[in-house]
Amino acid sequence: MSDHASELLTRITALGGDVLDLPFWQACRDGRFLLHACGVCGRHYWPASRCVVHGDARMRWVAASGRGTLYTYTVMHHAYTAAMKARTPYVVAVVRLDEGPYFHSGLIDCALDDVAIGMRLEATMIEHDNGLVAPVFRPVPG
Amino acid sequence: MRAACAIVGMGLTAQGIGLGIGSRELRAQAIDLALADAGLERDAIDGYIHTYLDREDLRYMGLSPNFSLSILAGGATPALSILSAIGAIVSGQAEMVACVYGQAQSAREASGGQKIGAYAYGYPSLYGLVGAAATHALHARRHMHLYGTTSAQLGAVAVTQRRYATVRPGTLGYGKPITLDDHQASPMIADPLRRLDCTRDTDGGIAVLVTSAARAKTLRTRPVYILGGGTGHNIANWHRGTVYEHHDNIAPAKTRAFAQARLTIKDIDIAQLYDPFTISPLMQLEAYGFVREGHGGPFYADGGAGPDGPIPTNTGGGQLSAYYTTGFTGIAEAILQLRGEAGAGQLKRARTALVSGHGFNAGVQNTWAHATLIFGNEP
Repeated sequence: MSDHASELLTRITALGGDVLDLPFWQACRDGRFLLHACGVCGRHYWPASRCVVHGDARMRWVAASGRGTLYTYTVMHHAYTAAMKARTPYVVAVVRLDEGPYFHSGLIDCALDDVAIGMRLEATMIEHDNGLVAPVFRPVPG
Repeated sequence: MRAACAIVGMGLTAQGIGLGIGSRELRAQAIDLALADAGLERDAIDGYIHTYLDREDLRYMGLSPNFSLSILAGGATPALSILSAIGAIVSGQAEMVACVYGQAQSAREASGGQKIGAYAYGYPSLYGLVGAAATHALHARRHMHLYGTTSAQLGAVAVTQRRYATVRPGTLGYGKPITLDDHQASPMIADPLRRLDCTRDTDGGIAVLVTSAARAKTLRTRPVYILGGGTGHNIANWHRGTVYEHHDNIAPAKTRAFAQARLTIKDIDIAQLYDPFTISPLMQLEAYGFVREGHGGPFYADGGAGPDGPIPTNTGGGQLSAYYTTGFTGIAEAILQLRGEAGAGQLKRARTALVSGHGFNAGVQNTWAHATLIFGNEP
């Protein structure tokens, strides 16, 4: 394992993430959006899963579009922690990716009044406060 | 399995915020109250099921059962504890099983930092999702989008349940009515859910005693028969990509429960539906078939879940306005109504009750466990 991968593994473990998703986080650093997919039927999954039909034998990480539509969302108003107070109100979005899976994420470049279920979104990578490079979504221009 | 077993004793401790009684003591008090209710001695309990706990202190409970079993399936745990008690009795492993809950929840400290996998499938907490209100808000927002459900209709759920609680001593809402304006003025927590859409943690204990229907007839309390039960898990809807349209996976749970009970939805007099947030009973009334899909909002606004409506629901105030003993809140109210012991809140027609449990289980957001129980006061 490279130093980068090893450091990322340590970080993901410390944050309580699932080691199975490590390839996803590694790819985010390179600006690539991956999904887990079944090599038999082509069905996509997120996060890492066993195919509900074909099991684990042919599961692999594949490049994905990083595009989808806003499926549902909430706007966080109540600051449960001091750190939240500086951010509220903010959106937590559930994106239905074009490949099928749901993807929970943040929403940027979109005023609260403009948030609408069904809007087209695309992923962009940002560095989170905790050091993880992770996708957030923004409206597809035009 | 119809009416193989019955609930013959219930012990309900004080319920409220900041009672100053520890969790273990709440459980011990609940057991003592349940034994007194049923007119049984301590040695009658030969099976013990504790909810949410890793271990139980049986020495402190003063019990000597043949087994002590721990169950954890989120808010479906209490219903599953009763189904498990039936399993133990029908398989000949016990004659009298105590299903026990006791938690001093309101004393629980906020833990602060949380893992990025919290509320997971897909790391929502990495993006700032915190708390069960937010996870249920995702369902509420989707319901609003699909059916035009409004915040005022969610408010009607809160007002309906509070009206029930105002006449029930010992509940949070006793003597404290709220209006729709109060609901609309309460602060937004996780849009679209306001403070009055949310349940508060309370302290309290409860124990119920389950035995065979044959033995139930020999005891002093009016038996509450368990006519049917069923389970469903929302992981199936996750895989189908329809998890946000479904509060839970109710279809398999209700199908099994009604088949066992040999009843239809029209035979149910009252419903006690797991209600951590107002959206929850609204969506469950639809999924069970009491209300047409998407019509839960207007149904509540028209008083459909009130005492004179087609299906009186959460008739003791529910978790929202009475107290939060997770899935035991609805079980306790169903028992009281079917026994005719609900005091000023007693409904005229309460021969059968549908009770649901719903909760965080299997470590994933929105793949909730669900359990259905159908109770009757005749076998």
